Amino acid sequence: MDLSRRRFLQAAAFTAAASGLTVACGNGSGSAGGKNGKSLTLWYWGGALSDKVVAEAKTHFGKDVKLTVASIGGDFKSKLTTTLAAGTSVPDITGIKGEDMASFLPNANRFLDLNELGFKEVSSKYLDWKTKLARTEDGKQIGFPIDIGPTALFFRADRFDKAGLPTDPDKVAAEAGTWEDYFALGVELRKKVPGTYLINNISSVFNIAVGQGTERFIDRDNRFIGDQDHIRKAWTTAIRPYTLGIDAKINDNTWNAAVGKSLNTELGAAWHALDIEQAAPGTKGKWRVCATPGGPANQGGSYLALPKQCRNPEEAFKIISWILSPENDARGFTDAAIFPAAPAAYSMPAMTGGDPFFGGQKVIEVFGPAAKAIPASYEAPADAAVMAPYMTALTSIEAKGRNPDDAWKDAVGQARQIARRQGVK
Amino acid sequence: MTSPPVTGPAVAPRHRGGPGPARFRPRRTPPAGTARRARRGVLAHWRQYLAISPFFLIFGAFSFFPVFYSLYLAFQRWDGMGTMQFVGLDQFRFLLDDPVFWMSIRNTLAIWVLSTVPTLFGALVLATLLHSVRRFKGFYRIALYIPNVTSIVAVAIFFGAVFSNNFGLVNAILGTVGIPPVPWLSNPWLIKLVIALLMTWMWTGYNMIIYLAGLQAIPTQIYEAAKLDGAGPVRTFFQITVPIMRPIILFTVVISTINGLQSFSEPQVLFGSNAANPNLGGPGQAGLTTLLYFYQSAFVNNDYGYGAAIVWAFFVLILVLVVVNWRLVQRGRKS
Repeated sequence: MDLSRRRFLQAAAFTAAASGLTVACGNGSGSAGGKNGKSLTLWYWGGALSDKVVAEAKTHFGKDVKLTVASIGGDFKSKLTTTLAAGTSVPDITGIKGEDMASFLPNANRFLDLNELGFKEVSSKYLDWKTKLARTEDGKQIGFPIDIGPTALFFRADRFDKAGLPTDPDKVAAEAGTWEDYFALGVELRKKVPGTYLINNISSVFNIAVGQGTERFIDRDNRFIGDQDHIRKAWTTAIRPYTLGIDAKINDNTWNAAVGKSLNTELGAAWHALDIEQAAPGTKGKWRVCATPGGPANQGGSYLALPKQCRNPEEAFKIISWILSPENDARGFTDAAIFPAAPAAYSMPAMTGGDPFFGGQKVIEVFGPAAKAIPASYEAPADAAVMAPYMTALTSIEAKGRNPDDAWKDAVGQARQIARRQGVK
Repeated sequence: MTSPPVTGPAVAPRHRGGPGPARFRPRRTPPAGTARRARRGVLAHWRQYLAISPFFLIFGAFSFFPVFYSLYLAFQRWDGMGTMQFVGLDQFRFLLDDPVFWMSIRNTLAIWVLSTVPTLFGALVLATLLHSVRRFKGFYRIALYIPNVTSIVAVAIFFGAVFSNNFGLVNAILGTVGIPPVPWLSNPWLIKLVIALLMTWMWTGYNMIIYLAGLQAIPTQIYEAAKLDGAGPVRTFFQITVPIMRPIILFTVVISTINGLQSFSEPQVLFGSNAANPNLGGPGQAGLTTLLYFYQSAFVNNDYGYGAAIVWAFFVLILVLVVVNWRLVQRGRKS
């Protein structure tokens, strides 16, 4: 080869410059186009919306706009982030997962303010705490709530019966009103039905216990508060079942095999019912649902948002408010176990029926009040990242028998460092 | 490769100011002339350059540019969308006091040693065995190579099921012999062992094929001579096969170092079903490799600057290890 080094470097520099140019051009062309486009794209992921409702939306709005729907697989958040950063081929309407919402809020300028498009008029139909989580401090609403994940306690009524404990959901809820009472039940159950456990792992307890409070790991003034009493209390609560020996310590996919066998109860959101049903179809009719010990929390639940490149904001807003109207939201529950964020849906026939998996119990009587009672908390953009070390530390207690106090120190130290890295004071 | 014919008779007359006939070339070409000649050289071969350009364009856009962009990112704080903030060496300072980063390095090195040594040794032994096999050659080669073309994700899911703590096949078999279940996927060392085993299983066949090709190139006379001199199979292996194969072994060592240190999919898939922390490498983070930690920092926590700093620090480490390996394998070559 007679390619000299200099020429190679020239070529390399040229290539680098050319690709830089391409990216720069890409940024510019994104915002082109009028604001009354006739075709709109909608990005979501499998199970985020009822496919039937989306298909109907296509025909319902067919005469005005052409709605193209893309079900995006894989890591939805990073795909959306890169697309928004690139600025081209941005969807006109996009889903955002509840757990990712906080990390999108600092970039609220990438989205349209839904309040200006008319969300203000309908916002009272949706749960306030859920709406707030998609609103910036200065009042810009970027997310339209799709669904929520109110938690509950799922329990095996047959095992409770065998142990001589109450099986009626209301009575169980009363007996397991606090975490301590609930764990006492677990000890009792283990005595009467050997080889069984109350909970699958302690991080799930920690997750819910943190969600029951109004403060999380970072406060509104962007200060790290993960070492304070409210988190320490949730931690101590999570450690209890481990010391009592009622923790199954399952941290992998063997949960599927264990759920129908050794687990007596499950803590989880409304959508978790579907997981249990799929993992243990043989236990149909044996499960019941009651209120979460210590009060309800939320796990998951998504939003729809309009990126600022949206080609027809008016029409797009009409479409999302139609898809997410309480009536259609209720259908999402029947079609895809999406628990509506609109309380009006809870009294609709689609939701008030009995669930055969839970022995015909009307589960909405548990989830409905829970949904309304979830405390409004502040979730900082770095919250999920800061929470991760606590989960890891709890897992290491279960897997390696690490001393809980040492694990706590590790978790706080690491969490503080991650917070500092992300610009938290 | 031959150098391109630069000046042909047809273009010669255009060489204004040039010293006449094309065949005559002065010793010192004026600088302007060189530049023009070079440009004409590129232009004259535009078809060839066009033909190879797709690779370089794609490489430039998707490898070359991102690599240097990530170096730029390592000095910024960026959440992937908002404005970048220059932070100087802060990200690297964070790296130094981040125990998780150092743990990920230790994990990666442990997994690498646990997988590379048996992979390369096993591959060499298998290749030698296969070289002397007379029947079913094709079958053995395909059978041993298949793991390498199987999707990592599928293999990882399979290993996850086989080594599962509570309901895994291995523990079930151990159970029938009366051995209590082994916590394959929760003990920190066993986690590494399972990941290393998975990588060994996938890469032994690949290296074996390379060794086999090398073995077939060794003239049989050398072996015959050794046999006549009374060398047994073990001695032949260590005194003839290994020294002759040194360059090939060197190649596989370098490739395995690069591959082995980049383990990412294995732990990610194995512990991806860990509901609490899908991307943190399982219980006690024992399976957290550096690339997995990078992925988690950049794409899960949206901390792209820190992620970039992790991979660049890691790049330096890989470079050092490759050089060390190179020297180790090269040592004694001249003696």
